[in-house]
Amino acid sequence: YRDVLTVIFSYFKAFRLLQRKQMVIDVLHPGKATVPKTETREKLAKTYKNTPDVIFVFGFRTHFGGGKTTGFGMIYDSLDYAKKNEPKHRLARHGLYEKTKTSRKQREERKNRMKKVRGAKANVGAGQKEE
Amino acid sequence: LLARGKGGDEVLESDLPRAVALLKNLQEQVMAVTAQIQALTKKVQARTYPTEKGLSLLEVKDQLLLMYLMDLSHLILDKASGGSLQGHAAVLRLVEIRTVLEKIRPLDQKLKYQIDKLVKTAVTGSLSENDPLRFKPHPSNMMSKLSSEDEEDEAEEGQSGAAGKKSANGAVKKYVPPRLVPVHYDETEAEREKKRLERAKRRALSSSVIRELKEQYSDAPEEIRDARHPHVTRQSQEDQHRINYEESMMVRLSVSKREKGRRKRANVMSSQLHSLTHFSDISALTGETPHLDEDQNPIKKRKKIPKKGRKKKGFRRRR
Repeated sequence: YRDVLTVIFSYFKAFRLLQRKQMVIDVLHPGKATVPKTETREKLAKTYKNTPDVIFVFGFRTHFGGGKTTGFGMIYDSLDYAKKNEPKHRLARHGLYEKTKTSRKQREERKNRMKKVRGAKANVGAGQKEE
Repeated sequence: LLARGKGGDEVLESDLPRAVALLKNLQEQVMAVTAQIQALTKKVQARTYPTEKGLSLLEVKDQLLLMYLMDLSHLILDKASGGSLQGHAAVLRLVEIRTVLEKIRPLDQKLKYQIDKLVKTAVTGSLSENDPLRFKPHPSNMMSKLSSEDEEDEAEEGQSGAAGKKSANGAVKKYVPPRLVPVHYDETEAEREKKRLERAKRRALSSSVIRELKEQYSDAPEEIRDARHPHVTRQSQEDQHRINYEESMMVRLSVSKREKGRRKRANVMSSQLHSLTHFSDISALTGETPHLDEDQNPIKKRKKIPKKGRKKKGFRRRR
C-alpha cells in the first residue's frame, strides 16, 4: 500500500499578498495511521520542487473509518516571507520561534510594581520583600 | 389752463414760503449727504474696510438688495417722466444683480438652519427645547463644588483630570451602571401548558403518520425521494456547510458539546432501524394522553438543577 497525497485543485490559491500558495490537502493512507506532518511536508516538497522548510501544514482531520485525512498547507516563496507572515505558533512548531516564558502572574505583578514608580527609573526588580 | 391761471395764483402764494423752506431744507440735506460721502471715500481710500478675505454672505446680500432697489427706483423715475427703457444702463445692472442673487440662493438654503437658530436664540435669549446642543457634556458639572483649595492645588501640580476629580471629591462614588428595566414575568401555569401543547402539535404535524396521510389525500403527484429522517438531513446539511467554510477559510472550527451531541444522535438515528417500528407521538392532535411504546425512553421533565457554588465562573451573590 502506498500513500497518495492529492492537492485539491479547486482550493489551490496563489496568495500574492502574503507571498505564498495555499491549498487543501487530501491524504489517502488506507490501513495505516494518520500520516505525520513531517512526511506530508516532504511529499509536498517533492511535488512542488521546494525545500520542506518553507512548507507549513496544519489542521489535519481524519475521516470516520480511517484511510483519508484532510488538512491545509501553505508554501512560502522564501523563509523570510514565512517568518514574516506565518502565525507564531506554527513557526514554533518548526523551531523558528521561541515564546517568552514569563508567566502571567509574574508579568502582572511587575506591572503593579511599576505603577508605584513614576518616570524612567532603572529597575523595578523582583522586589518580593517589599517593605 | 385757465382754471389754473386764476385759482393757481392764490395757491402759489400760500405755498411759496413753504416751498422756500423745503428748498432750503433740501439744500442742507444735500450738503450733509455729500459730506458723508466724502468722508466714506476717504475712509475707503485709507483702507479701514479690509476686504481681502471677502465680504460675508449676509453683507453681500444686503448691499446687492440695496443696489437693486436703487436701480429699480431710478428706472421707475425715468419711465414716469416718459423715457424709454430700451438699452437703459440701469436695466443691465438690474439683470446682473438679479443673477447674482439667484446664484447665492442655494448657499442661503444651506445656511438657513443656522441663521434661523441664531435669530431664535437672539430673540428668546436661550436655546429652544428640542435643540440637541442642550445635551452636550458639561465637564464643569462633574467636579464637586466642595473644596476650592484642593482644586487649586491640583491645577498647580498639573495632574490628570481623573486624579483631580478623586481628590477633590470628598467621597469617591463607584460608578454603578443602570439596570435594565425589569419586565414583569406574567406566564401562568395555564399559559405554559398552552405553549407546550402548541409545540407538541407542531411536532406531531411533521411526523411520518401525518405526512403519509397528507400524501394520500392530496392531489399532488407522489414524490419518491431518498429521504432520511429530517433530523439527519438537517445535521448533514449543517456538516456540509461547516466543511465548506473550513476549507475555504483554511481554519478549523471547534465543535461545542451540543454540536457533538447532535452529531452523535444524528448518526445513531440513521444507523438504527428506529423509524421502521416507532412512530412519533401524535396525541397532541388527537387529544389523547401521550403514551409510549415499551422500549422508548420516558419523557424527562426538566428539573431545575440548582447550581452549587460556582467558585471560578460567574459572580456569586454575597448575601
